[in-house]
Amino acid sequence: MELSTFLQALITGILMAGIYALVATGLTLIFGVVRIVNFAHGEFVMLGMYVTFWLWKLWGLDPYVSLLITMPLLFCFGVLIQRFLFQPILRAPDLAQIFMTVGLSVILMNVALFLFTADFRSVKVPYGEWAWRLGGVTVLLPRLFAFLGALLLAGVLTLFLTKTDIGKALRAVAQDREVSMLLGINPNRMYLLAVGLGAALAGAAGGLIVPFFYVFPTVGVVFVLIAFVVVILGTLGSVQGALLASLIVGVAESLGILFAGSDLGLVVVFGILVASLIFRPSGLMGSR
Amino acid sequence: MPAQIEARSASFRLTPDRYVPALFLAFLLVLPYLLPNPFYVHIVVMMAIYVMLGGAWNILSGYAGQLSLGHAAFFGTGAYVSTLLVNHYGISPWITLWFGGAAALALSLPIGFICFRLQGPYFTIATIGLAEALRLLVLHFREITNGAQGLTVPFKGNAPWLLQFDSKMPYYYIALALAAGVLLVTWRMERSRLGHYLVAIGQNQDAAEALGIDSTRAKARALMLSAFLMGLGGVFYAQYTYVIDPDGAFGLGLSIQVALVAIVGGVGTILGPAIGAVILEFFIQSTQILLAGQYAGLELMVYGGLLVAVILWRPRGVYSWFERMYTRILSWLPSFGRTRA
Repeated sequence: MELSTFLQALITGILMAGIYALVATGLTLIFGVVRIVNFAHGEFVMLGMYVTFWLWKLWGLDPYVSLLITMPLLFCFGVLIQRFLFQPILRAPDLAQIFMTVGLSVILMNVALFLFTADFRSVKVPYGEWAWRLGGVTVLLPRLFAFLGALLLAGVLTLFLTKTDIGKALRAVAQDREVSMLLGINPNRMYLLAVGLGAALAGAAGGLIVPFFYVFPTVGVVFVLIAFVVVILGTLGSVQGALLASLIVGVAESLGILFAGSDLGLVVVFGILVASLIFRPSGLMGSR
Repeated sequence: MPAQIEARSASFRLTPDRYVPALFLAFLLVLPYLLPNPFYVHIVVMMAIYVMLGGAWNILSGYAGQLSLGHAAFFGTGAYVSTLLVNHYGISPWITLWFGGAAALALSLPIGFICFRLQGPYFTIATIGLAEALRLLVLHFREITNGAQGLTVPFKGNAPWLLQFDSKMPYYYIALALAAGVLLVTWRMERSRLGHYLVAIGQNQDAAEALGIDSTRAKARALMLSAFLMGLGGVFYAQYTYVIDPDGAFGLGLSIQVALVAIVGGVGTILGPAIGAVILEFFIQSTQILLAGQYAGLELMVYGGLLVAVILWRPRGVYSWFERMYTRILSWLPSFGRTRA
């Protein structure tokens, strides 16, 4: 195998890791604050992709511009989901919480199938094939943009969480519901905000990958599975852990595709999950 | 004990709680003859298969509260192992049935070893991941598994030794026996030491461990039982439909459907999955008939909607309704025979 092939896979993996980090950050934000593991998170990505696709198809809107529409739209969607589906089961047992989001995922996936059919759709943008060639390695610009966009959003989120009062309140609720109430924070509002933000980040991830990724009703499954692996590796609820873990997962997937075959990338990712469960059950950031 | 039986038979009285179950059993036995055409028999067979699968899931996930969304892995393993043995070595499905179940049981050992390190949603995620990995591996190793096209059982006409029949009737009775078998196993387990351990673990694992229950061991045993029954279900399904493919047999969709059956009916109860299977299969088949499969995704939307509705308004499933209705019906019915003086 040539070095350039290896480097190519490595770079593809790193660039994809940005997107995985964005999806996993949203997942971890919802879990950290609301304490619900959102099995429908992949469908939020899928919705972001479809919104972007249709904005392009109907009005010729550029995918990056339509982020300005996709993100607020997904935010509102997340708020509604929290208000009407998650709020009633906040204190319910695991079974109710898990299967509520599983049910939501099944509904969203099949509403998409019903409305948009199972067709694979793609957005054609003029810069879709633009690339940098560095030696034997090609960097597709849409992938680079997606990576940079994801980093930018993750950075903005971190600033929001650490520097603003609302962000601090959000973290306070994540740390201790009762104490935050004593401090005058209304946790129910923070829940709405957390699920809204999580959905908006997932939608943004969807929008960012549309220039180089097919859109179809079940596209979310891959993302939610990878995001789960990322959050288990990086300890659920920790943003830095999610970033490091998505780097590992993104690179592992892309090297897995290179060495084991194009259909086994995910198997390698799950292999890492299994290995980590056996050797480091509390995650990369967790203390043993 | 013998004294008790004697005392009862001396004053035998046909009370509703005795003859209603007997009549219901008789009804199940003649049911296929009452149905107007084979399509309805097919629906009833599917109901029985889901009773079996939901019941198998219920043993681990219902009683012990370990919510698996990877049970398709056991179903698929049973189906594939059996079908490969039948096709390559010409072994009778009546024998490969046990190999399929055993293979699923064997698979449950490493899966339990890995997944029982986790609790709650993490456990669920790990089960999804492992089943998904298995599905991708089955897709990948085409030489053995025939990839995405899946496997077919060659049709040999009416060959009872090959578990193949012209009519749907024999399938119905086999499915009924398997479903009844799963419910019987559940009943036995519920009354056993293991059953009590599982319920304790389901309520509070830490407390159960503090009482000296080896939770990992109990859960592993429940998983083995559950996986074995799931594997049997896979074998029967493969024989019944003649085709299996990786997405259908190993997919997340099947795992969700199986769990849904138990949840709608009522987890941690013997008859819950049976009620759930009948309700869900009824819903699915009627949406299919009414809409003639014109709209892709509609039936699964119904599934998802039912799941959300049940969790919002009936989180313990419909079992308790049925129980209440049943006791009320019993109270209306007359008793026959002599009463003891």
